Amino acid sequence: MSEATPVLQLDQVTKTYPGSPPVEALRDVTLEIAAGELVTIVGPSGSGKSTLLNIIGTLDRVTSGTIAIEGHDVARFSDRALAGMRSARIGFVFQQFHLLEGMSAMDNVATGLLYQGISRSQRRSASIAALERVGLGHRMQHRPGKLSGGERQRVAIARALVGDPAIVLADEPTGNLDTRTSREILALLEELNRDGSTIIVITHDLEIAAQLPRQIGIRDGMVEFDSSDAVTVAPLASLGTIGGRA
Amino acid sequence: MVGTGTLGLRSRWGRTVLTALGIAIGIASMVAVVGISASSKADLIAQIDQLGTNLLVVQPGNNVLGEGATLPPEAPAMIRRIGPVESATSIVKLAATTRQSPYVPKEDANGIDLYAIESNLLATLEGSMASGRFLDQGTDDLPVVVLGAVAAERLGIRSVDGGRRVYIADRWFNVVGILDSLALNADIDRAALIGLDAAVTMFDVKRNASSIYLRAQPEQIESVRRVLAATANPHAPNEVSVSRPSDALEARAQVDQNLQNLLLGLGGVALLVGGIGIANVMVISVLERRGEIGVRRALGATRHHIRAQFIVESSLLALLGGILGVTLGAAVTFAYADRQGWLVEIPTIGLAGGVGAALVLGAVAGLYPAARAARLDPAEAVRPTN
Ligand SMILES: Nc1ncnc2c1ncn2[C@@H]1O[C@H](COP(=O)(O)OP(=O)(O)OP(=O)(O)O)[C@@H](O)[C@H]1O
Ligand SMILES: [Mg+2]
Repeated sequence: MSEATPVLQLDQVTKTYPGSPPVEALRDVTLEIAAGELVTIVGPSGSGKSTLLNIIGTLDRVTSGTIAIEGHDVARFSDRALAGMRSARIGFVFQQFHLLEGMSAMDNVATGLLYQGISRSQRRSASIAALERVGLGHRMQHRPGKLSGGERQRVAIARALVGDPAIVLADEPTGNLDTRTSREILALLEELNRDGSTIIVITHDLEIAAQLPRQIGIRDGMVEFDSSDAVTVAPLASLGTIGGRA
Repeated sequence: MVGTGTLGLRSRWGRTVLTALGIAIGIASMVAVVGISASSKADLIAQIDQLGTNLLVVQPGNNVLGEGATLPPEAPAMIRRIGPVESATSIVKLAATTRQSPYVPKEDANGIDLYAIESNLLATLEGSMASGRFLDQGTDDLPVVVLGAVAAERLGIRSVDGGRRVYIADRWFNVVGILDSLALNADIDRAALIGLDAAVTMFDVKRNASSIYLRAQPEQIESVRRVLAATANPHAPNEVSVSRPSDALEARAQVDQNLQNLLLGLGGVALLVGGIGIANVMVISVLERRGEIGVRRALGATRHHIRAQFIVESSLLALLGGILGVTLGAAVTFAYADRQGWLVEIPTIGLAGGVGAALVLGAVAGLYPAARAARLDPAEAVRPTN
């Protein structure tokens, strides 16, 4: 793969949920994200942010258009091949953490490697390293129930990172956290990005969004602005119209 | 895979145990039915084998007035004269008490019967000695005694070593032997046995047998049986009772089969209900664990992984029930057989079958919930629930 191949390319992606009337959650979305970027997706509630992230994460399929991850046209992938892509190349972080209650932080992180056919001992050592990276070296054996919200999200981030994915997708990772903890989590994502991770994060916190290197605004399923486009110059001005959600 | 499969079970332990209990009850009842009937049958067969099917017992019956009859003194000798009779031996019940010592009050005698016997009793009943030796011609008229297994225990005598004595009627008798327990002759187990000649000289007994045991050639057993009553008491054959102990046992072995089938059927129903219970709980579990399924798919699990996880979980749940059930069933069998004094026999095929059946049932019960879990749309599954 050549240096220039973007991690992610979307070309005229449309997603329509069947129903009456059908919901056009994404329309003609075209964008490109290069390795090492930290991108935030902003937009009002129902604008299609989660849909976009699920499509990028191959959890959902496009209705039309193409999506390429590291140059692979994943629209043609079988369910099995998509699962392989997710396990090796994509990391997920969710708003409600989605940790498995029955196991320790360390085992939760190790689950990030479970479907890659990696030996148990390797999973463990990678898990320890990932937890140390997110500053949770002292919480390895804790069950999620015994951790604070911020700590849980750190565990989830460690789980997303442990397989060294090409891209990390975070859907409102701070949505369930207080302001201070949210800042800390964002700072952690920025730090991981400085270390080389490509990260896409959906956030409602406009202040935070403004600090990040690149913002993509979504409205009614369409890309409203992309701060990396030379043409669109005043993204933050239109950001002011968001905030429809409490 | 197994580790992943147990996670859901471990994190909902109470529910796991309750669900497994459904299967456990089904398996336990089936194992217990099979185990108890096998133990009972094994015991019967052992008894039949031990006793042999060619043993007949002649006893005085009742006369026409319903009063207890007696056998003529010459009955044993007459019976021995029947051609196919290989051996015959008589015992005569005596009224005296058997005690540890004269200082034990007669009323406290331990319900030990006293029989006067012939020296070929041991051979005819095919008994064996736990300690010492049996009575023989040379000792028949000495004050010596052989104790049945239960009688010896009640008198606190384990072996003949050290010259143990017991007090019979009003004199001491040396214990020369202790019998092993006899399968169907519980009356002998509970008895003290002295030689017939000694009994006659010491107690002035009549020689009317209370039982005559005889062995006949197996193929002639029916014809011997037909002439026995008339031979034992030619004047009143109707006052003689003839029995073949093995008959009753064989009849019992037959009766058990029908009951066993009925109980097995009930156990099967319980098992089925348990299986449906597992399917039910697994369906609920799939609904509750939408998020987990979604996140596993996001982490790279294929549909196949998810399906396998829930089938393994369901199988393990049932396996737990199976192991619990087999243990419970075996325990019930042990307890029951022990109370009945049977040999315990649980067919290994029953145990393995119980666990195997549970495993298969669990896998089948898991098919539908697992298919539902695998069908879940991953994007849908990771969406926050409102
Ligand atoms: N499975 C589905 N079936 C039908 N419509 C759906 C489905 N999922 C999402 N939608 C619709 O698609 C649109 C985009 O939803 P999406 O969840 O992507 O919005 P969002 O920007 O993430 O919103 P929020 O900020 O509230 O999370 C909404 O109108 C939503 O109702
Ligand atoms: Mg959303």
